[in-house]
Amino acid sequence: MRINSKLVKSAIAAIVVSYSSLASAELNIFACEPEYASLAKELAPNARIYSATTAMQDPHQVQARPSLIAKMRQADIAVCAGADLEVGWLPMLQMKSSNAKVRSTDQGLFYAAEQVETIDQLKSVDRSMGDVHAKGNPHLHFSPERMLKVAQALTAKLIAVDPASKAEYESALADFSLRWTAAIPVWKKKAAPLNGKKVIAYHSSFKYLFTWVGIEQVADLEPKPGLPPSSSHLASLLTRTEAGDVMAIIVASYQDERGANWLGDRANLPVQVLPMSVGGNDQSQDLFSLYDSVLDLLLSVKAS
Amino acid sequence: MTVLNHRISCVAAACALFTTSAFAENPSLTNPAISAVLDGYYQNTERPMAERDEGFGLGHTEIAMSANIDDMFYGKLTAVIEMHHGETELGLEEGFIQTLAMPGGFSIRAGRFLSDVGYLNNQHVHTDAFSDRPGAYRAFLGSHYFDDGVRLSYVAPTDLYWTMGMEGFKGDSMRAAGGEHEEHEDHEGHSDHAEREYKNIGVYTAYTKIGGDIGNGSWQTGLSYMRNENGRMVEAEHEDHASEDEGHDHSHSASFTGENTYIADFVYKWAPNGNYKYQHLTISGEYFRVTDFAPLEDGHDHDHDHHSEASVDDMQAWYLSSVYQFTPNWSAGVRYGETDVQELHGDHFHAQKLKETEVSLAWHQSHFSTVRVQYTNQKGTNFFGIEDDNVLTLQYVMTLGAHGAHQF
Repeated sequence: MRINSKLVKSAIAAIVVSYSSLASAELNIFACEPEYASLAKELAPNARIYSATTAMQDPHQVQARPSLIAKMRQADIAVCAGADLEVGWLPMLQMKSSNAKVRSTDQGLFYAAEQVETIDQLKSVDRSMGDVHAKGNPHLHFSPERMLKVAQALTAKLIAVDPASKAEYESALADFSLRWTAAIPVWKKKAAPLNGKKVIAYHSSFKYLFTWVGIEQVADLEPKPGLPPSSSHLASLLTRTEAGDVMAIIVASYQDERGANWLGDRANLPVQVLPMSVGGNDQSQDLFSLYDSVLDLLLSVKAS
Repeated sequence: MTVLNHRISCVAAACALFTTSAFAENPSLTNPAISAVLDGYYQNTERPMAERDEGFGLGHTEIAMSANIDDMFYGKLTAVIEMHHGETELGLEEGFIQTLAMPGGFSIRAGRFLSDVGYLNNQHVHTDAFSDRPGAYRAFLGSHYFDDGVRLSYVAPTDLYWTMGMEGFKGDSMRAAGGEHEEHEDHEGHSDHAEREYKNIGVYTAYTKIGGDIGNGSWQTGLSYMRNENGRMVEAEHEDHASEDEGHDHSHSASFTGENTYIADFVYKWAPNGNYKYQHLTISGEYFRVTDFAPLEDGHDHDHDHHSEASVDDMQAWYLSSVYQFTPNWSAGVRYGETDVQELHGDHFHAQKLKETEVSLAWHQSHFSTVRVQYTNQKGTNFFGIEDDNVLTLQYVMTLGAHGAHQF
């Protein structure tokens, strides 16, 4: 009996200790896309970070699969692009994971698109327009100025959720901001030869990048957002290329290249796959190298 | 299962829902998501125990509205409008609230909702890759089991997904057809059949599911147990199954019941690089076993069965299905299933068997529109007289409005 009660006591003690050590373990961050996993890594280097998607996956079409529910169940913060990009799966994850911490932006939920002005906001949206977002284009991670604002807002969120580590988050932000603001003029200079170029691209994935660099997207491989390229649409694009002013056809790492290749072959235009996010190619290991890689690839097309 | 047979109330309800929709452009915390599903079909003949009649018809046409009510509660209402022998019926398939902020991974759902047993049951029928649920569901769950009740569920804080839940339901639609079935339009007053006393809370369930990723694929498997207090069949004197069967095709009640139902299920989904945009494959299967359906001997309910009636096999059913979306516009599926049930004839059972082989091909203009052609070969042994039948179904399923996400 004595032994038993001792056993029970020590078992309880063990559980309490392991639980409290769990509770004081590093912050759990659930990122909807790899670009935000990468940003979280810059701003909370000690956190346990999980990315729900990779650069090879279309973030519009993600399955609310069991592993994501399990990860969200444990999250202290969820960092997502927002502007309805994840509307097809995030609400289901929130419902299924029963984690009160990440259910609203008042607490641990963070939407990047709510921190900045998005481009292409629409006053009215209709399904016949395709898969469009009324709240504007959510692929904002190729806008360096916007990402800086997002970083500041995310730091505020991290501090709100984990005030004990305030100093660490502030110094991480200061470090990131310094490197980021130093990189912007370098990228700008590097991208100068691309200014004024015209491309045909897939979806509005790189709209922020093109706007920032000064590239004009003259046509979209998708007849309507979310719809795959149809042969009649591709034929009309072929006519468009006859003007001879298009530099290249641009496809993101998770998009199908077949339509682009068809058009590239016939119009004799280069087809360039760009990493949509961190991990989209070997060079893109973090946000900095992602920008470098994208600009390098675009410049290599221009040179050819 | 309250079915309002009045056209007027149906139209009124629909109008009420649609006027609200004018304000709901982006569903958000304060803005409910409102959607409608349109489902129409042509079918050359009937499947046993299925919801669809022969010929042209409307299937599961639904209107749904959902939103977070406040920081604690989420609510959803799904009304289903169905045609049945020329009558328009408005049924309420879902009307529930769910907690959003309970600590420790717990949540409670209360009201009318789809039970979480098995794999397919909590999925809305319009997301299926086939026009009807597999035989197992049609036989034992009335195609899809929704009911009034309450659920407590828990998600463990583990990297491997692990959830557990318990539910308690009224269980009206799972009652064994004892004595008589209150089927035809006699006013909803209680039919006072002295021969059967039903329990108020008829159905209890317990389930657990685990899941995770393997490479670019994801899996989930589950075990469910359903206790049906009113599931034991009653030695009925009525010899008129034939007439009952005819009027039975549209009922949402389980066709075969027993006290204990065990369900094992699994699903595996795969996409190249985990990118579901262009191609993905789904393989799923479920196995059902229903036991303790034989009536207890009159008078003394002796503790343990002495196999009084020449022992009868348990009822069981299973299916295996595979669906491949090979382009964003096209998907194809195959499904095979067997259903072995026992029908009570007076004091003895007749074994019945149904084997279904099905192929379907669907065209999707977008995520929101599907046009499907499906061929079913059904082979029955004593099964409602089916011997060898070919069923061809043409169907469309389209959703409009802000539609909620679908489950894995």
